[in-house]
Amino acid sequence: MISQLDLGDIQGNIVKAYGRFGFPVARHVFYNISSAEVGRQFVTDITPLVTTSYPWTDPSTIPRVAMNIAFTYEGLRHLDVPEETLHGFSDEFSMGMKARRDIVGDTGPNHYSRWDPIWNLEERGEAQHVHMLVSINAKTEDFIEERYLQLQQILARAIAKFPEVPPPGVTQLTGHRGPGGALLDYQPSAALVDRWDKEHFGYSDGISGTFFRDCGEDPRLVIGGGKPTGKNPQTPEGWEPLEPGEFILGHEDESGAYPEAPGPPLFSKNGTFLVYRKLHQNVASFNAYLEQEGARYPGGKEALAAKFAGRWRNGAPLTRFPTEAEANQFVNEVTALQARVRGKTATPEERARLDELKLLFVAFDYDDDLEGTRCPFGSHTRRTNPRSGLMFAAKGGFGQPAFDTPAALSNRRRILRRGLPYGQVEDRPTDDGDHGVIMIILNADLSRQFEFVQQQWVNFGNDFRLANDKDPLLGNHGINVEGRGAGRMVIEGNARTNTPPYFCSNMPTFVETRGGDYFFVPSMTCLRMIGLGIVDPT
Amino acid sequence: MANKSGNAYGLTVLFPIRSGLPKQAPDGMNDQTHADLVRLQLQRLAVNELSPMARVPNTYLSRLWVLDDVPYQGRPAVLEHLKSNYLVFSSNFHGELDDYLRGMWTAIEPEIRAILKYCVGFDRVTDVTTFIDYVKRCQVETTFFFNGSTDEPLAVQLKSLYLKQELAKFAAANQGKSAADLQAAFNEFVARVQPANLERPTWKAGAYHLDRAVLE
Repeated sequence: MISQLDLGDIQGNIVKAYGRFGFPVARHVFYNISSAEVGRQFVTDITPLVTTSYPWTDPSTIPRVAMNIAFTYEGLRHLDVPEETLHGFSDEFSMGMKARRDIVGDTGPNHYSRWDPIWNLEERGEAQHVHMLVSINAKTEDFIEERYLQLQQILARAIAKFPEVPPPGVTQLTGHRGPGGALLDYQPSAALVDRWDKEHFGYSDGISGTFFRDCGEDPRLVIGGGKPTGKNPQTPEGWEPLEPGEFILGHEDESGAYPEAPGPPLFSKNGTFLVYRKLHQNVASFNAYLEQEGARYPGGKEALAAKFAGRWRNGAPLTRFPTEAEANQFVNEVTALQARVRGKTATPEERARLDELKLLFVAFDYDDDLEGTRCPFGSHTRRTNPRSGLMFAAKGGFGQPAFDTPAALSNRRRILRRGLPYGQVEDRPTDDGDHGVIMIILNADLSRQFEFVQQQWVNFGNDFRLANDKDPLLGNHGINVEGRGAGRMVIEGNARTNTPPYFCSNMPTFVETRGGDYFFVPSMTCLRMIGLGIVDPT
Repeated sequence: MANKSGNAYGLTVLFPIRSGLPKQAPDGMNDQTHADLVRLQLQRLAVNELSPMARVPNTYLSRLWVLDDVPYQGRPAVLEHLKSNYLVFSSNFHGELDDYLRGMWTAIEPEIRAILKYCVGFDRVTDVTTFIDYVKRCQVETTFFFNGSTDEPLAVQLKSLYLKQELAKFAAANQGKSAADLQAAFNEFVARVQPANLERPTWKAGAYHLDRAVLE
């Protein structure tokens, strides 16, 4: 069957999680555009360097550097994209992330007044002065630096081409807080040196992917990455690919329609929306809470950390591996087999065994755990990707359907996650050091997908019958009347083993927003149209 | 059966509002119709726990609004108009209608007078009996009544919500204690929250914000 998607027209970060292709470092560069002419020239000149989603079937075709471009609403306006096209964008995109703060939970410690200076350049007198994002992913820091210098040369040439335009025309914005409070000209991010698959709280990250029709990825990834069918989640029959319109404009989505997008159709087709969020991690607070609560929690510290996330810190899913011993045995076997595959000493049987085992990280739902006795309803992964947990409720716990909330429409809340940690390993034991995650989220509808997950599933609990409890790891927990963290989490007990539930309270906010905005990721065709200044909605 | 669902009563009343302008306009309300004056009265009412309806016993949920006319749906629908503006009073409450209206008149008679004085026929209301008659004459049968509350009296429901919140706090604060300590703490807890006392401590009727809900 011929793929319905023109992958060469779609930017590469939409389909390819670059980390999986051996790109552990990234750099995010932001620009302000004061002259549409210079801006369009710059876009035209860097478009040939943009990485597409065209499959890298042969490892030799994988480039040293991947680069992608995206624009804020104001960015598109400053590039002279016509008003009528701009009016076709959604409210949330034109408002930008700061203005959506009550919905996404960017209040209190997450408020934009506490963001990195680049997001608060008030002297520019613009609501949104970040206009353009260029992301560079690469195998090494040297390759990134090489491309970064190339970008600066291209920009200088674009500016020089228009001597009559008042400078600067296009400015690379500075003001990303870095180590020791230094202000950086760009936002670096990278897999942690000592633990490449971990984030700063010690969890293996980026395990679950999202699989959509015609995405060009390994078809086996539909298991755990597609939408649940209600059949065995360990088999391909348990999953179907999501419709591409959930992630790419101009294609059928899960409602059987094209997602809302501005005209002309050629402008938005094969584009999508990107959420950039710099999320600071209060590592000291997290460690202290885990120590203090873990000393009381019957399962101990590691089990508590697993209950927060829904996965053990080594990545094994709780619902499949309820004990630490099982989780360790599983991950140890995977690690040993991976070493043998890397060392080219693995037998075909061992390779097959590894493929089979790797599936267990993702090939599950919550049908065997309807009472939350293994993976709590309130855990981070069960909240943000409920799998079939909100759909197939016939066998529900507590003597009644557990979660019959079809209005939650889980298949319409899926997102693509891209992102890497930033910051220093050494200062991790503090709260105020430079450490966190650069979270990149892609979806076709910011409000229905990203904002819904953020508002209803991260910062509220009603869909999981958890009242106003929040995601233990990502929730903006606020402060109670005694000035302590107001976060709570119920860890379900088990009536069959006479295990009582455990209540975590006084949980402080572990993750705080330090910047970000909503961006439009144009197709390659659209980038060329923007560069040429020929977008015509009439 | 209409109007009732279990012990919950769905009351819908359409009070016709006098047409035209009042003989004497209140300050700043020149040229404003009776309906405009009713609407302003409603818009000035306090909300949540400060709402006068929060003082009316057993009110689950109530709304008051002015119905100017029926909306026109476009062709092929026929363009129609109401004969007057109406003040719509919709209330879900626990118990019987006469008891509820008696409680309402007793609790908020001045507020009722301030609003209903612009309505046709209210000048014949002189006391609680004539008020009940007046409401019943203007009542519309409530069909398709959905009760979003439990079937208990309001005081029981408010006390239940209060106890549920307090019990959650108790559980978090006392988990892991020995049976003896737990029992002692629970006895203290019961003495403090007084489960059988519906008066207090409890939740305030109409309270919307969790941190302002408790009536000590």
